[in-house]
Parts: sequence; C-alpha cells; structure tokens
Amino acid sequence: MKKIGLIIFSLLLLAGQTKVAAEKGYKIGDSATDFKLKNIDNKTVSLANYTSAKGFIVVFTCNHCPYAKAYEDRVIALNKKYSRLGYPVIAINPNDPKEEPSDSFEAMKIRAKEKGFTFPYLFDDGQKIYPLFGATKTPHVFVLNKENGKNIVRYIGAIDNNYSNPADVSQKYVEAAVDALLTNKPIAQSTTVAIGCSIKSKKK
Amino acid sequence: MKYFIIVLLAIITLNGFAQQKANNGYQVKIVRFEELEKVLNKNDDKLYVVNFWATWCRPCVLELPEFMEVNKEHRSNQHFKMILISLDMAKDAKTLVRPFLIKNKIDVDVYLLDDNKRMNEWIPAIDKSWSGAIPATVFYKNGKKLEFIESKLNKNELEQIINKYL
Repeated sequence: MKKIGLIIFSLLLLAGQTKVAAEKGYKIGDSATDFKLKNIDNKTVSLANYTSAKGFIVVFTCNHCPYAKAYEDRVIALNKKYSRLGYPVIAINPNDPKEEPSDSFEAMKIRAKEKGFTFPYLFDDGQKIYPLFGATKTPHVFVLNKENGKNIVRYIGAIDNNYSNPADVSQKYVEAAVDALLTNKPIAQSTTVAIGCSIKSKKK
Repeated sequence: MKYFIIVLLAIITLNGFAQQKANNGYQVKIVRFEELEKVLNKNDDKLYVVNFWATWCRPCVLELPEFMEVNKEHRSNQHFKMILISLDMAKDAKTLVRPFLIKNKIDVDVYLLDDNKRMNEWIPAIDKSWSGAIPATVFYKNGKKLEFIESKLNKNELEQIINKYL
C-alpha cells in the first residue's frame, strides 16, 4: 500500500512538472515535441521526416516583423551552412493572421518566394506549437539536438548580437551553439535574449 | 561632503528641468543603456512608468493612446512620471519616431535606446524574466523596480498598478 501511495505521489509530481513545462515553455535539456504543420507547398512537415538529421534549427519567424525581416538573409545563410552538416532550418510562423493579416498563409508563400527560402516555412495553424516551445516573439530560435531518438533543446534565443547591422555582429549565438554540438563541446552560451515582435494571438 | 551633495542635487534638479523642456518639442533622445539606467534610478520619490515600445510594434502602438490618457490624469502629480523608450533604429529617430510622436501628440519624455549589440546584457538588467518581447512596461520608485509587465496593458490595468504605488 505504501508503495502504491509513493507511485501515485510520484505520478502527481510528474504531472505537476509537465504542467509547469507546458505553461512556461522549454528549458535547456527538455525534449521538444514533434509536430505536423503545413508548409508553404501545402505538404505537412514533421521533425520525424528528417531521418538523417542530427538536429534542427527551429526559427519562429514571420512576415511582418522588422526584426524578423532583418534576419531573413541570415536564416537563409544558416540553412545553407548547417543543413548539409545535419542541422536544417525549420521556420515556423506562430502568428494568428486574424490579428496580423500580413502573416497569413498566403502571404507566407509570397514572402518565401520573394526571399527564396530554401527551408520549410510552416504555419502554426491554431497556435498550438509555439506555446509548447515557449516562443514569445519573432525571431526566436530553438536549436534541437537528436539524442536517443529525442529532440533535446540545446539553445534558446537570438541568432546573433546585432539585428540591425549584420556587418557589425560580434557574437553569432546560433552558429556557436551548432558548432559546439557538431564538435561535441559544451555550448558556451545556451540562452540569450533579444528584442523581438511579440507573437500575435487573440488572448492579448 | 555637504557641499558636494547640494551641488549634486542641483545638477539633478537642473537635469530634470532640461528634460521637461525637451519633451515639449517632441524630441527623441538617443541613449546608451548606461544613460538610461541613470534616468530609471532616480531617488526623487516619483513613480516612474516606463514603457518599452517601437513604431513598428502594433500592440505597442495600440496601447499608447490609453497610456497617454492615463498620463493626462496623473501628469500634474509631482510624484508621477511616464517615460517611453523606443526600440526603433537610431536612424529612424527623426524620420519615423518623431513624426509619430507629433501625430499622436505623445508629449512625455521619449528616449531611443540605441544599444543593439548589448541586448543580451540590458534586457536581463531591466528584468530577468524579460524574453525581449514588446510592449513591456516597468514601474520604478526611488530606483527600486516595483513591477515588470511583458505584455500589452489597457487603461484599467495600468491605472490599477499606478494606484497601488502612487
């Protein structure tokens, strides 16, 4: 009886923890959920589709935000550099188009074509995925690393330390994180913060 | 030492007057974080309502008229001061930010924080929980942070917080 009590207690504790995690989003070391989201080519994309990938650079981004726009070319460059090394970019638009019409699925297609995106640009239809990650703004990057069949969150934050002037960047946070993963070294800076456009949802 | 304090107080007071004069002309003062910290850490018994915003940020622009209404109600109170901190690009201060202030009659002190490369330092310095999303509003008194809100605030919510501390 004591044992059962302990098991129930542990389960309750676990349940409590998952709840907290769901509310506040992922922390470093958490296992990220897979998803099925619609890409701009109308096909659905899941992380599980990438059987040979070592991990992912998940970028919450959108069409309208000047910060996100400022980083578009750098996101393209990240994919160019790291997809062949096993860490492709997966871009996700988390905004509700009812709140931000320029972030509609149709507008995503147009923007991706204009910029020549070489990576999936997915629509978080119904806004179910970004709260799980704990993304709050665009751009917001999560670097995932495949470990024992799970996608473990290894970096959360900004792409680099200068959104307005790519020529004056002195710290490339995402590149440093993926480089560390590629060489089995610890990530020196696993979380960073930067100003971004808040994700648009009905609630607030 | 006494003399030093008097001089210091005089400088602080004069600075205060200078700023009051400046905001009449819808000026945007471009600052680095160190300068901003001085503005936020004043021991003058005033409640500082400090709003981080940008002209490109839709929820920010939507909440500003309500902020201005609240400011109108309290601005005559010498223990109240509202400050806006624009996170627009410095090159847009004259061409975008100032015209926006004039158009929307935003006549509080406006600073533009031009310190892009050190976001990862000053964002946590403002508040450890801040992810960097705007709008965000901070409440200070005598250099002490009272509250930090990383979301849009409507008039009632803003009034409620102000009334708690005023």
